[in-house]
Amino acid sequence: MKNSLFSLLRGAMLACVLTLGITGTSVAKELHLYMWSEYIDPQILKDFEAKYQCKIVQDLYESNEEMIAKLQAGGLSQYDLVIPSDFVVPSMIKLGLLKSLDAAQIPNLKNLKPEHRTAAYDKGNHYSVPYQWGTVGLMYNKKLAPDFKPSWSVIFKPTDARRPYVLIDSEREMIGTALKYMGKSMNTTNKTELKAAADLLIQAKKHKNFLGFEGGVGGKAKVAGGSAAYALVYSGDAYRAMAEDKNLGFVNPKEGAVVWVDNMAIPAKAPNAALAYQFINYILEAKVGAMLSNFNHFATPNAASMPFIDAADKKNPAVYPDATTLKSLESILDLGKDNRLYSEIWKMVKTR
Amino acid sequence: MADNNDIIYNGELVSPKVLRKRASVFLLPGLLWIGFFLALPCFGLIAVSFAERSEYGAVDWIFTFENMKRLVGFDLFGWSADNFWILARSVMVAAVSTGLCIALSYPLAFFLASRPARNKGIWMALLLVPFWTNLVIRTYAWLIVLAPQFPPAHFAARFGWIQPGAPLYPSMIAVYIGMVSTFLPFVALPLYTAVDKLDWSLVEASRDLRAGFFRTFRHAIWPQTKAAVAVGITLTLVPAMGMFVVPDMLGGAKYMLIGNLIQQQFGTSRDWPFGAALSLALMTITLASLLLFNRNSEKGGVQ
Amino acid sequence: MNRTHPWINFAAILLFMMLYLPLLCVVIFSFNASRLGTQWGGFTLHWYTDLFHNELILRAAMNTLILAVSSTLIATVVGTALAIGLQMAPWGKKARRVFEPLLNLPVVTPDIIFAVALVIAFGAVRALTGLFELGMPTMIVGHVTFQIAFVALAVRSRLRLIGTEVQEAACDLYASPSYLLRTVILPLLLPGILAGAMLAFTLSLDDFIISFFTAGPKSITLPIYIFASVHRGVTPEIHALSTLVMIFTIFVVLLLRRSEKQNSQKPEEKL
Repeated sequence: MKNSLFSLLRGAMLACVLTLGITGTSVAKELHLYMWSEYIDPQILKDFEAKYQCKIVQDLYESNEEMIAKLQAGGLSQYDLVIPSDFVVPSMIKLGLLKSLDAAQIPNLKNLKPEHRTAAYDKGNHYSVPYQWGTVGLMYNKKLAPDFKPSWSVIFKPTDARRPYVLIDSEREMIGTALKYMGKSMNTTNKTELKAAADLLIQAKKHKNFLGFEGGVGGKAKVAGGSAAYALVYSGDAYRAMAEDKNLGFVNPKEGAVVWVDNMAIPAKAPNAALAYQFINYILEAKVGAMLSNFNHFATPNAASMPFIDAADKKNPAVYPDATTLKSLESILDLGKDNRLYSEIWKMVKTR
Repeated sequence: MADNNDIIYNGELVSPKVLRKRASVFLLPGLLWIGFFLALPCFGLIAVSFAERSEYGAVDWIFTFENMKRLVGFDLFGWSADNFWILARSVMVAAVSTGLCIALSYPLAFFLASRPARNKGIWMALLLVPFWTNLVIRTYAWLIVLAPQFPPAHFAARFGWIQPGAPLYPSMIAVYIGMVSTFLPFVALPLYTAVDKLDWSLVEASRDLRAGFFRTFRHAIWPQTKAAVAVGITLTLVPAMGMFVVPDMLGGAKYMLIGNLIQQQFGTSRDWPFGAALSLALMTITLASLLLFNRNSEKGGVQ
Repeated sequence: MNRTHPWINFAAILLFMMLYLPLLCVVIFSFNASRLGTQWGGFTLHWYTDLFHNELILRAAMNTLILAVSSTLIATVVGTALAIGLQMAPWGKKARRVFEPLLNLPVVTPDIIFAVALVIAFGAVRALTGLFELGMPTMIVGHVTFQIAFVALAVRSRLRLIGTEVQEAACDLYASPSYLLRTVILPLLLPGILAGAMLAFTLSLDDFIISFFTAGPKSITLPIYIFASVHRGVTPEIHALSTLVMIFTIFVVLLLRRSEKQNSQKPEEKL
């Protein structure tokens, strides 16, 4: 009996030591990525691990809001790289979540297209380096929606919304799409317009064909799996699914859509910033950038990679929009204090 | 030399003070732990619910009634009864689910109690396995059963409850199915214990006096199983009110319950003060139900 | 008590089916060759083998086990001490009025309020000391908090079963208090301690809500992983993982049943 007591105590101490050991220390050369799911070619990760003699540990998120929440809850000192969208970068900078970048460590910055080096949300790439860009468009299942129309009305207009659909669980992108359908700017601060957008979204949510809010990947899965006919999906995710199944389609509807740029950024207290810099530099290499875009079918911001991109993607106006499409696309801007208005709208939509 | 205060406790002649000092060493770590990590923060919830949410999601310690106002329904764009409906819906779903569980547990308990003694253990184990299976697995498993290709969805489509080709979720039906299948064992197990020890002479007597089914139940069975049902209710009603996994997976964003709303505030919305206010509302309802319930069971003479 | 109405049997069987049908579907579809949706695409075992190559899942499984084992060990020690301390001294009414609610608080609080309270507690500690970033330590603390109550209740019921005669007899034979504790009470208490520990272990494995709120970005457990995957699109890989978890659950349930049987045996029967 005494033995079992002692062994119990010994076990307790062992467990404590083990726990502290496993959770406390980290291997010297480990890169902790925190990024969107299905966003990077596993081969790129393997090549990087081999080239730089390190181990990559990946964690996934489905929305910018989720990522920011986790960073604020303690991820700041646990991750080396995150991939925020352009419109949240200014807020993250103000919150002190991102490390100021040392351009000397990223010589491949010169590979970027000029517009990506002088973007409004981070001129000069002091905190973020463009990763991929794309749109938030309408993905549809041809079998479930034979009467498809390339317009957001299949979701927002009750008479046209005849098939089950999924809305995207991303504050600015969902509200922005609703505003675009209404013919307004997705960066408006006009309270009447915003209230109208909220009403539109709430009505779409209360409609019998509404299936729920999902991240881009979740929505894609529902359309590909056959439980939804329509979903708001990120362009590349849709094209990857379409490569596996001819029954799926994707379009940037005629009313317009959100165009976004995702960026690589280093959290303020990253444990292994040196490796993070190497990773960013590696992604910016011409061939690697092309490998990335050819895998996830998003558009690349890398001028040097363009010669190596799949011809099919280059010709596709939904991946690399032409001049006319570009006119209907709009970027989301960080509105500083007015961000609050959108938060309130989103709360209304989510709770009513 | 015995002190005047000394007593004989468990055979030992010792003063109560010494006993208490000795016991404190054992007692305090546990009590302090619970006090610090659970009891105190519950009071901390009150403090946080009066704080302000900073522009980007942190907590600013500025006193404000904003969260209380939002709780009652006033937000930036006017008044709405939505929060009230969410609370009301949560209470109703919890109450109805509990009621259904009780009603369905009786056949289950009687069935189990009537098995031959050597098989009882197996049937018990059969009831325990879903009970101990992880809630997330049990709930998402319904997503398969309620998919468009299978009978339940076809059935509902035939009646026009849902679109043909659509799955049976998200819907209130799915939420109720999920809740009942989650909480059924919680009520069935205590009830089975009571039914097993049922005094059948009362039931037989009532039958001999030609009482119908309902009178037999009311006078012979109910008084003996009342206590078990009370246990079942305590184990079901309160957790059901705060449940968010089932509504999240089976109700989608369409049918929000208070649990989902609270989880959102501490997750992607990053609005701890409002989340704290909502939690206070839930806690108040929980305490109220427990108090009401205790008073009723005292009146009814439940031990 | 021999003849039950056929309606009752029918209803009961139906209810058992309702409890098991979803779980059976998960098992069946874990062999589905098609990746998305519920169309059957053929039989395959490769999802199970894929599981063992998935780093995220292996890490989540490891985290789940570490969490359960560590928290159970701590909670068993603290909870047992708590139960013993309650019985050790003649606490008056006033003291009991503080102890009983505290002891029962973790049991009656709804999980989500529990989780919210923990998050706020950790936030407060973090603001004051900079410690307690959300991660494995915070999850362990969270689990221990509710496990203590369950262990204490299990041990306390065993203590009541043991009764005081043995202690009185030992004292008559001039046993000192510490000898009494070590050699008499603890061994008799062992089935209760083990039952409480098993209960705590199972509760920790089963827990989702508290883990979900207190998990750090990298200390994901299996239930959290499965929950996140449901929103990304359920693949048969998740079904395979769930099936394995269910098998493990069955195993633990059987162990629990055996330890419960031992716990309810009176000490005299064992001697």
